[in-house]
Amino acid sequence: MLRARSVTKSYGQDATRVTALRDASFDIRRGEFVLIVGASGSGKTTLLNMIGLLSSPTSGRVIIEGVDTTRLDSSGMAAFRNRRLGFVAQFANLLVDLTILENVMLPRQIAGGGWSRGGRPRRDALELLRSVGLEAQAAQRANKVSGGQAQRAAIARGLINRPSIVLADEPTGNLDSVSSESVVRLMKDTARRLNQTFVVVTHDREYFGEVDRVITVSDGRVYEEEEEDGRRAPGPGGRQGGAAAAAAATAPVVPAPAPTAARQREVLP
Amino acid sequence: MGYRPRLAKRMLFNRRGSLIGAVLAVTIGILVIHVNFVIFQGLYDAIVRDIGDYRTGDIIVTDEDSFITKSELAVASWFERNPSVEAVAPRISASAEINITKSGRLIEETRVPVVGVDPYRDIKASTVHTTVSDGSYVFARNSVVLGTNVARDLGGATVGDSIKLMVVDRWGEEQIRRLVVSGIASSPGGQGFDYSAVMHIHTLRDMMARDGETGSFMVKMADEGQAAAVRDLFLRSFPSDDFVAETIEEASEEQLQGFRSGIAMINMIGYFGMMSSAFAIVTIQMMIVNGKTREIGILRALGARRRDVLVIFIMQGMLIGAIGAGVGTAAGLSYTFYAKETKMSFNNSLPLEVSYDWAKILQTALMSFALAILASLYPSYRATRLVPVEAMRAV
Ligand SMILES: Nc1ncnc2c1ncn2[C@@H]1O[C@H](COP(=O)(O)OP(=O)(O)O)[C@@H](O)[C@H]1O
Ligand SMILES: [Mg+2]
Repeated sequence: MLRARSVTKSYGQDATRVTALRDASFDIRRGEFVLIVGASGSGKTTLLNMIGLLSSPTSGRVIIEGVDTTRLDSSGMAAFRNRRLGFVAQFANLLVDLTILENVMLPRQIAGGGWSRGGRPRRDALELLRSVGLEAQAAQRANKVSGGQAQRAAIARGLINRPSIVLADEPTGNLDSVSSESVVRLMKDTARRLNQTFVVVTHDREYFGEVDRVITVSDGRVYEEEEEDGRRAPGPGGRQGGAAAAAAATAPVVPAPAPTAARQREVLP
Repeated sequence: MGYRPRLAKRMLFNRRGSLIGAVLAVTIGILVIHVNFVIFQGLYDAIVRDIGDYRTGDIIVTDEDSFITKSELAVASWFERNPSVEAVAPRISASAEINITKSGRLIEETRVPVVGVDPYRDIKASTVHTTVSDGSYVFARNSVVLGTNVARDLGGATVGDSIKLMVVDRWGEEQIRRLVVSGIASSPGGQGFDYSAVMHIHTLRDMMARDGETGSFMVKMADEGQAAAVRDLFLRSFPSDDFVAETIEEASEEQLQGFRSGIAMINMIGYFGMMSSAFAIVTIQMMIVNGKTREIGILRALGARRRDVLVIFIMQGMLIGAIGAGVGTAAGLSYTFYAKETKMSFNNSLPLEVSYDWAKILQTALMSFALAILASLYPSYRATRLVPVEAMRAV
């Protein structure tokens, strides 16, 4: 479903040139819940931006659902982002001049009236808001809700066009632990319920419990970390996620920076 | 409503300060143009009105030589037969020397313009008689109306005073008559006969030895729109006479030319005012764009194209333009209405000729609207140049 091939991204020219991402290649399969972890400045956001078509790689290709996205022009990329991708940023995700409901409807409206996979935008948006527990806030202006509620609304918005992949860049980075847990639980439940692919950049590895895969970025290079199935299984519905996360917070199982060579292998095509 | 107009509206309306600032800029631009129009076009029209009312009518007929020799009756009755003509009045003018004995002292004024009028016809074709503030208009062969300035220069001549008036006749002989002051003329704005004397046309003709001759005919139209046509018809009807017939615009062209270029310059100032409101809009729109950097990035991430971002901010410009044009035009019309109702006058004397020029009002409103959109183009373009990643980086 997603294939990244030798994706490299450099910023700047000549002397000031920084290569933030070097020769990254990996696949993501439908329905997978993938975490991207790594130290600050290691290139996680750069990687997410490449697969989110928010900027173009310096070289390499990103193929999503068989489309070589590096070949799209600016408006082709915009249309692709709109219909195939959902975005959740670290903070201030919502347009503060709109209500929560209008924010959730926005990608559908950007897609235009002609394009809707079943149902009218309003009805779909309300249903999504119900599923993220924000039905009561639908009519509130986006700057009137809490940070956790805003992230939940952003997740709902990311789902409205039934995207191939939802991309989230540190979605819990600005939240307290209670809100973080509930946002993580929402993403994991949604992933399971809708067989929705998620790619999530995080510093808070411990909140996520068991995931399908963890990709580690270190100094612009991508490593895939083996995930032993069931090792940290939070149980059905992720109900015990809070307890697991609390335990993880006192004794982190996975140290975020500098994974050891033994626990990583470079992913090659 | 689509998301673009909705966002354009909300982003603007949720920023009261920017909205009020931008709308005010447009409003002031329009108001300046309206106020300029009321004052300066009103002044111009007032002067044209007074020249017509007091001196030329809608058509003025003169002769290539100084005097018309054709009979007064022939010319007057030709015009009076035309249904679009309201009235016609003959006049003759000369330069006079006037003296008066006031409390035993002789006061003399030279080179006073003196106009001979037909009292019966003149009050129909001209409004000079309405400027007689004291006493009455010329009614007898020996009555004279003194302009207020002439009366003052004659030591404060008043109604009932007797004066001596001397003109030089066509043969170079001095002719003197004793006349009685019947009234003092003082026109609002001083465009009337405040510096002249008005007397009976028969008496003046007699003194000038120009029996049956006329200096000019002023023709007042019932239908002003027909002035040029009637003028042409008149000239064709008397091909063998050396008549000169001009509409008021033609006759006062020289007098008004300077004024018109003055108005053009003042209008330029108005347009410069509009330009500065455009710059204000550029600034305000740039502020809005800068304040919305991150949200624009999010919009782009969600799939809005560059074009959509452009449209949102141009729509915002349209909103500013529409509201500003509406408020500005309303303010301008209120001022015009106020000026008209209170019979506003220039310099506290000349009553302005206040009118509603709907074509110009519409043009001003449309121009401000267009300018607001134009002023939004650059900020809108800047908004489209934001790269989503960079925009979302901004805190
Ligand atoms: N627009 C940019 N211009 C120059 N350097 C950049 C830019 N964006 C990111 N970088 C650099 O690329 C590297 C990776 O950044 P980033 O992907 O944001 O890391 P992370 O998300 O893992 O913290 C950092 O060294 C950062 O300074
Ligand atoms: Mg980052």
